[in-house]
Amino acid sequence: MNSHEVTIAGYLVAVAGIVLMQVLATRTRAPVPSLGDLLTRAMRTRTGRVGVLVAWAWIGLHFFAR
Amino acid sequence: MDAARPAGRALAALSGLREPVVWVLLLIAFFTAISGKPVDGVLMLIVATGLAWDAGRRALRHPGAGAGPVARPSRRPGGRRRLLAVAALLAGGAAYAGVVGSFSRYSWPATAGIIGLGTIVVVIGWHGPLRARPDGGRLPLAGTLAWIVVLVAGCLWELASLLQQPSLTTDSYSHPTISTLTDPLLASSPGRSIVLLGWLALGWYLVER
Repeated sequence: MNSHEVTIAGYLVAVAGIVLMQVLATRTRAPVPSLGDLLTRAMRTRTGRVGVLVAWAWIGLHFFAR
Repeated sequence: MDAARPAGRALAALSGLREPVVWVLLLIAFFTAISGKPVDGVLMLIVATGLAWDAGRRALRHPGAGAGPVARPSRRPGGRRRLLAVAALLAGGAAYAGVVGSFSRYSWPATAGIIGLGTIVVVIGWHGPLRARPDGGRLPLAGTLAWIVVLVAGCLWELASLLQQPSLTTDSYSHPTISTLTDPLLASSPGRSIVLLGWLALGWYLVER
């Protein structure tokens, strides 16, 4: 594997980890919160709420804005 | 301390620096600016400063309350009105994605479209959730830590790729960032519109949290 493939494999592992955690949370009785629960908890305070929404806005800025 | 006086405002902003989110936003502002995106950096800096001031002002007015939850009374329309509202939102979202996706990446019209919607969503979020949600209680510690490990590892992998580029503004084939990998998709107008639809859906999901 060259470094290009290793880098992409790393991203795929990260995505697989997120999917695995979500499956554990929603399809098993493992003590794992779902990503939605995690976000809801993080957004209970104003700073957390604004922080998450700004992170979302930043994604749009990063990919599309000057 | 009166938060309306200049000294009070400065103290409020400084005490708001205790919020970790403010530091995260300041770091994003710094790294975004040195990566050749000064507009993003300035916007992040404005939000970080506003959030620090707001958090500090509330802490000074209500010591001990901290950055507590903010909730609005539920005002979700029911039945037919809700259906109409959802249909209008879907149509508006599709029109937005079509129009903004037709603009070239990094053009001023695309920038204005993203900044405009981003500002509206952040301002809505600043005033609290759209409807009251039940308090889910404490999250399981081990599972939460596992989530943090997975998400931070993903971010560090992206950061490592970014730092292995020839420079922060030059792409690398050997160590592509997510931005580099998505360039082919975002090169076409339909591709941009599809990604914008996903971005809008994520934004709506978060606003509803």
